[in-house]
Amino acid sequence: MYQKLTEMLFRLCGAAGTPGDEEAVRAAAEREFAPYAETGTDALGNLTAKMGDPGAKEHILVEAHLDQIGLIVTQVDENGFLRVDRCGGVDRRVMPGTAVTVFGEKPLCGVVCCTPPHLTGGKEEEVPEVAEMAVDIGCNAETAKKLVQPGDRITFRTEPKKLLGTRISSPGLDNRASVAVMVRCAQMLAGEKLNCRVTFLCSTREEVGGQGAVTGAYLADPTRAVSVDVGFGRQPGVKPEQSGELGGGPMIGFAPVLDRSMSERLVRIAEREKIPFRRDVMGGDTGTNSDAIAVTRAGVPTALISVAERYMHTPAEVADLRDMEETAKLIAAYLREAV
Amino acid sequence: MADWKLLKKLSEARGISGQEGEVRDLILEEIRPYAESVELSPLGSIIARRKGKRRAPKTLMISAHMDEVGMTVTQITEEGLLKFATVGGIDRRILPGKSVTVGNGVHGVVGVKPIHLLKKGEAEKSVPVEELYLDIGARSREQAEEAVLPGDAVTFDSVFQAENGTVMGRALDDRAGCAVLIGMMKTEPEYDTVFAFVVQEEVGLNGAKTAAFAVRPDAAIVVEATTAADVPGVDREKQVCRLGGGPVISFMDRRTVYDREYYRLAFRAAEEAGVKCQAKQAVAGGNDAGAIHVSRGGVRTIAVSLPCRYLHSAVGVIAQEDFLAAPKLIARLAEMIEEESESNNKC
Repeated sequence: MYQKLTEMLFRLCGAAGTPGDEEAVRAAAEREFAPYAETGTDALGNLTAKMGDPGAKEHILVEAHLDQIGLIVTQVDENGFLRVDRCGGVDRRVMPGTAVTVFGEKPLCGVVCCTPPHLTGGKEEEVPEVAEMAVDIGCNAETAKKLVQPGDRITFRTEPKKLLGTRISSPGLDNRASVAVMVRCAQMLAGEKLNCRVTFLCSTREEVGGQGAVTGAYLADPTRAVSVDVGFGRQPGVKPEQSGELGGGPMIGFAPVLDRSMSERLVRIAEREKIPFRRDVMGGDTGTNSDAIAVTRAGVPTALISVAERYMHTPAEVADLRDMEETAKLIAAYLREAV
Repeated sequence: MADWKLLKKLSEARGISGQEGEVRDLILEEIRPYAESVELSPLGSIIARRKGKRRAPKTLMISAHMDEVGMTVTQITEEGLLKFATVGGIDRRILPGKSVTVGNGVHGVVGVKPIHLLKKGEAEKSVPVEELYLDIGARSREQAEEAVLPGDAVTFDSVFQAENGTVMGRALDDRAGCAVLIGMMKTEPEYDTVFAFVVQEEVGLNGAKTAAFAVRPDAAIVVEATTAADVPGVDREKQVCRLGGGPVISFMDRRTVYDREYYRLAFRAAEEAGVKCQAKQAVAGGNDAGAIHVSRGGVRTIAVSLPCRYLHSAVGVIAQEDFLAAPKLIARLAEMIEEESESNNKC
């Protein structure tokens, strides 16, 4: 099941892209969109892919962020260890003893240092801040300083893999899962005549504030927008009311900043097309780029669709391919009837 | 140059305590052409005899353990998640978010609550083991049960790299030791030697205890990996040993007070072999020597260890030069142990 989608998703997950350094993943995403849409980039490194009728009045922006969380090298110390800080909201609890890739002179294998348990002075419970951590690349200081510079980026070194059934796991599924949804959507619409103009926006720097979406939405100047991101999947310790079951279909967002009529329209389309879905209700901010896109220029009616994901911001993110496929179907159906 | 390919294969083989089959098969394949005899103990340890240039006055057993720390599935929940127990002294702080392989090659991850939904105070604390579980992507207990069973082994997925003077990999404790022994068996030793690749070190030294009983050695050298704490944030006097300082010789740990004469001999052996070595500067940890030195009527025992960072985690780091120095030191030490007994006999 979903063999082609899996391969495409794993290609996207296999390309690194931490905030402000999305070049590799942008190139990977561009290769996926190129057969179906006209691609371009801008000052902050966003990728755009345009489809549909260029003269249409309705211009719909479909957005997903391109970047992933990681670390940034702040210093190479006198013993060749790399001192680091967060580049996006890394969960410090998953860092100790974790294998990483350091994008220095060439990609290097590293491991996040971990003090032996008997030397923690009874503080085994406490996980230090990321800024207190170090990465061991197994080099002496001289070699390390040649290979790595402050500002170089680091990502988790974990291969994307298939779990049982239709579930998959990879670091960076937040938000490559949604980028894959947009690619899949472009594939579904390829060759069809649309009555609207569509801009797919793969935005940069979401994990450090969403600057790419702010400028990208401004440049696109759309009439409406649909933002796609990962949402909290049901798992132990997470309340049912704030999460969606994996495999339960797209999570259609309802929040003050989102356009209620668009959300309801997505619900009606899902019902008609027999796409399983869930209403994902938030009382305040959505915590996604839709918050910023909705207030672009004079305002853009915006919807949010989320793909349920477990273990967000760890090397162990898990999602369900079925949710990605169904989300792509829902967005494609919406774009088909947009006039 | 060392055989990194062999060390890679050994590092990637899966073998928690009590389920060392994959590692054992790999070692047997490597050593059979060089062994005079190979027997398997009832618990699954390999006892291999290597003919030397001369008959040994004393039976010397050189041992390394095949097993690694990991986990085992204890229970499958209604939602299809797996509860687990740790096997061996795993550092629980390193568990959350790791990728693992369960049973017969089923992929999984160690799940953890997303950072965005943590309560105050949770973000700075390591996750208690009882709150952790494995996710293999099952949607239900039934689906999980088709793929795994309680008792299945769980090992970390890891990396392997031998570059820039170090080796990074999983289970270097004690596959690096196994690789050292295999390498030694491939060259003819001065004296007949017994090489033991033992099981279940991480859960109570069971393989070493029983192998020592079976072999009945007069002397033993345990080849291990030991904690190197030469990492940022640890004062130099607390670092125990350091990568690149040479193999580590122990005078005492939590299990054993080592043979005083052998301890001295080991430093002389290093000097004569022209390699570095260092004392283990802490009374900490323990290894198979704990069981071997009290076997039957007692066995004079010494441990030679490779300094290894992040010992009981998913990826360890050792220095290539320490790894390359170890067999030279141990070979010379083995000769000295035999010659010591020869000269004793002459008195």
